[in-house]
Amino acid sequence: MKLFESKHDFLYPWDQVTAANWQKYPNELSTHVVSVDILSRSIDKENKVLRTERLIGCKQPVPRWMTALVGGQEYSYVREISEVDLVNKTLIMKSHNLTMNHLLQVNETVIYKPDMDLPGQRTLFIQQAEITAFASFSRICDKIEDWSVERFGQNAKTGKMAFEGVLKTLGDKWEESGVFVKDVSNSLINDIHEVTEKTSEVLSEVSKLGNVFRDD
Amino acid sequence: MGNIMSVSFAPECTEKKTKYDDCFNKWYTEKFLKGTSMENECTQLWDDYITCVNAALANHQIKPSLDKAREDQPFSHEEISGSDKK
Repeated sequence: MKLFESKHDFLYPWDQVTAANWQKYPNELSTHVVSVDILSRSIDKENKVLRTERLIGCKQPVPRWMTALVGGQEYSYVREISEVDLVNKTLIMKSHNLTMNHLLQVNETVIYKPDMDLPGQRTLFIQQAEITAFASFSRICDKIEDWSVERFGQNAKTGKMAFEGVLKTLGDKWEESGVFVKDVSNSLINDIHEVTEKTSEVLSEVSKLGNVFRDD
Repeated sequence: MGNIMSVSFAPECTEKKTKYDDCFNKWYTEKFLKGTSMENECTQLWDDYITCVNAALANHQIKPSLDKAREDQPFSHEEISGSDKK
């Protein structure tokens, strides 16, 4: 098992960040993410916690060697559970892959909470992923894991920068109207690269492992 | 300005999803975050949408792996809230 960890400060208040989190899904350029569905949603009124279960679909260009093992599947899916805790001011998301999880398991946890130093202005983002590959040979597992961690890190970096852009646009509108307006221009949408759907990305790009495998 | 909404995995559910998402996002930003409403106000739209999704999950044969995932990793409230205290 390999671990990936990342922290970042977004210069926006926590409530805005959580609202943007629901609206950053259209991914016209991040074409691996093809769908987002809400599977269940409940509110713990006493504790003011909103719990949501989502299904993220992504294209799955499965490499030949893997197709032989798992059978060809056009799409892969990630399940995500999130909880917005209004009292403790935390947004915590946990996700894992539903597809190919006997070959590669990616368990991701993301936490958004107000920065201790500037709680009304900054939001701390903490991301942790556990990546485990299963294969017959430990050497191949190592390669898959190393590659996945590397890809995870690259994507996370791009994703954070892009989410800053989304937050800025939505934040300006927030100041104007006091509420989030979901009209985000197409050009901006095109810049969006997912922050938290790294699980999908890792999976969808697992295809490139086909090359690694052939090198052996 | 055109909105690009994310689509459902089942094309026949996308329109219902968009209507529900619009309602939810409005409620979330205008009421939930301000602490003025803990009641889901989009129940009718939700019912339409989730009925569509549940049928599609079965048709697309996603249901078995979803059920297994829910059983293997329920991600209970305790587990979720506990991950901030590690």
